[in-house]
Amino acid sequence: MFIDGDHAIFSSKRFLVVDDFQGMRTMFREMLKSCGAKEIDVATNGKEAIALLEVNKYDVVLCDYNLGAGKNGQQVMEEAKVRNLIGLATAWIVVSAEKTTEMVLGAMEYMPDDYIIKPFTEAIIRSRLLAAISRKELLHDVEKAIYEKDYASAITLCDEKLKSGIGHAGDLIRMKAGLLITAGRRKQAKELVEKVLAQRDVPWAKVDLAKVHYLEGELDLARDLLLQVTEVNRTYMGAYDLLAKIFEEKGDLEEAQSVLVCSIDLSPNSATRQKALGDIAQKLGDLDLAEKAFRKTIALTEHSVLKVPSAYIGLAKICTEKNNPSEAMRVLGEVQKTFDCTQSTIHAKVIEGTLYRKNRDMKAAQQIAKEVVGLVKGAASALPAGVALEAAEFIMGNGDAATAAELLKAVVLNNHENEVVLEQVRAVFKRADMEEDGEELVTASLREVVDCNNQAVHLAQAGKLEEAVAMLRDARKMMPGNKRILLNLSYALILLMQRNGSRELAMDREVRDYLEQVRKLDPSNEQCGKYRNALDAIPIARAAA
Amino acid sequence: MDASQASETPDMTMFLASAIHDMKNSLSVLTGFMEDSLGDAALREQPIYKKMAPMFYEVKRLNDNLLELLTIYKVDRKFYPFDLAEHAVDDLMAEIEQQSGTLLNTQNVNLELDVQEGLYWYFDRDLVLGVISHALNNASRYTRGSLRLAAAEVGGFLELRVEDNGGGYPKAMIEEGVAVNRGVSFNTGSTGLGLYFSAMVAKMHKNQGRAGEILLENGGKLGGGCFVLRLP
Repeated sequence: MFIDGDHAIFSSKRFLVVDDFQGMRTMFREMLKSCGAKEIDVATNGKEAIALLEVNKYDVVLCDYNLGAGKNGQQVMEEAKVRNLIGLATAWIVVSAEKTTEMVLGAMEYMPDDYIIKPFTEAIIRSRLLAAISRKELLHDVEKAIYEKDYASAITLCDEKLKSGIGHAGDLIRMKAGLLITAGRRKQAKELVEKVLAQRDVPWAKVDLAKVHYLEGELDLARDLLLQVTEVNRTYMGAYDLLAKIFEEKGDLEEAQSVLVCSIDLSPNSATRQKALGDIAQKLGDLDLAEKAFRKTIALTEHSVLKVPSAYIGLAKICTEKNNPSEAMRVLGEVQKTFDCTQSTIHAKVIEGTLYRKNRDMKAAQQIAKEVVGLVKGAASALPAGVALEAAEFIMGNGDAATAAELLKAVVLNNHENEVVLEQVRAVFKRADMEEDGEELVTASLREVVDCNNQAVHLAQAGKLEEAVAMLRDARKMMPGNKRILLNLSYALILLMQRNGSRELAMDREVRDYLEQVRKLDPSNEQCGKYRNALDAIPIARAAA
Repeated sequence: MDASQASETPDMTMFLASAIHDMKNSLSVLTGFMEDSLGDAALREQPIYKKMAPMFYEVKRLNDNLLELLTIYKVDRKFYPFDLAEHAVDDLMAEIEQQSGTLLNTQNVNLELDVQEGLYWYFDRDLVLGVISHALNNASRYTRGSLRLAAAEVGGFLELRVEDNGGGYPKAMIEEGVAVNRGVSFNTGSTGLGLYFSAMVAKMHKNQGRAGEILLENGGKLGGGCFVLRLP
């Protein structure tokens, strides 16, 4: 019945079947066997699946979406991807009784390779698995380049494949458009999606065009395009996320909130959207809605590797504002039980201490302040600005101006070009009646960054590239979130490699990591793309024999 | 009914969702078993085989109806995840052929495939698969042994045709096929679920101001009934 070639493909692969229903497991096993598969493992729930994925490498995973209590199929896949339990070549197929928005229109990086809706026949299983395996093989080198943040190679590979006409043109064009945007080649990205849109209305192309407009600062154009998408394709979730972000940046929080409410109606199981709604509702002072959204976020991520402390922190703050200190304390306790991370521990303790102070329990507040001071020593520069500002405010209130100043200095060093953050730093000092000290600290810290940068530039211009690199690497340790330092360090490394005439692997990786960090901090940054191009132009060093 | 009783009204959406999940599992096992048995050469000689073949058609119909009801419900409540993506048309046709293989074999119906080569088109795979396999299932009942499944680009539309060599559609049915695109429903005695579903799927596919449509015709290459799905 089967074709020999297909049989050989199945017999050379290792399969994992995850389903909570005995009848389905048996059926999958029989079907795979009759397709030619020899190595088939089965798991009955997420926990068993993860345990198997930890020890074995699978080529194909067939995972039911609904796995009863515990993790669902989507969460098993997310964990497998985040923890690198599956390689780039593994095809992950979701099996489900129904098509859900998460499955087909969710976040790109957490989308399965394909999905199969029940009921299905052996023929469907065979053809879908073959298609997924061949697609994986076709795109493997592109995905590998993306994984290595080598976007230029990934784009070239897409072009080559498109030219050779081996099929999957739609996938390749879509991938290429996304890559052009990520690599900062916005003009090319725009040309490509406009060409697609001239042929037909494709929602992804419209969203990509909106992304380009957004990155170019053309918020209104981006908004109008996204509104068109949501009007025609109500369930195209990617459009809502960017739309909410645009409304928020335009200062229209009400509209941002209503966009998120609408998207959550369509896809209530997305933790990231629930969290975004919680944040907006909190800013708008809609405490009930914010509480509901944070609670939902926490519930949805209970079994997920993607759980974040910020939802707990947000909920604790809401409980504090709603005068429910006991619930706030319970939630804060959860943070420390659930997350083993200095940053979230500090944040939780700051909120706890603030709560004590609000209830005039100064002794307890003092005790917490001591603990926080201990925790921030040596960790200040790695804290996000928001957490550091809150911690500084709290410690300042407990009279330890020196530690507060240390924290705030780190904030300035990391964000020396961000006027909003600098103003927040000044405000903390002002509330402690130390306006002048604040101004002095800000000015001195700014000078420190500028001096450091200038010196490095001088060294580089004088040809002392190694010294410039060493200096900027030291500076990065002190201010790991400073964009300017990251960019200058990248540039100095690029100059060094240009002078050496070859791109050494470790340095290449280092620069790509810095540029990726800058891109995350500031997606519209122009220099990232330019530096990436300069890096790609340097010939690769030959590996030592 | 007093207030306390009203508050205990079950959440039908939840029941519906979990019942459909269970039913789909059961149907999967049932169709899997039947396909397996019907494909077994030894069984072909047994008298039960003749009785089982029509049962398979019934199970397919049950499955199609369930899928259509669920999809219509979701589209109506505006949360069907409509997934417009580019697909190779010959892959889709091959999948439909494979999926319908057992059914057509047991009924001794010959299926001829006529697909324009190298054609890619944008559509929601699950919806189009549902429409065409329903049409094939339907045609398998009225045909006199031959079916033709054709796909080609015609005037900027992807035209998918299911043709048979049976007696063709009655006039009222053809009129209903025209009307259903406009949202009008004639009452011809059938539930009209399949037709309504097909027209809904067609209309969901839009491109640059044009929407999809379905047509019921008589004639075609085999001279019987033709079901046509046109997607922009």
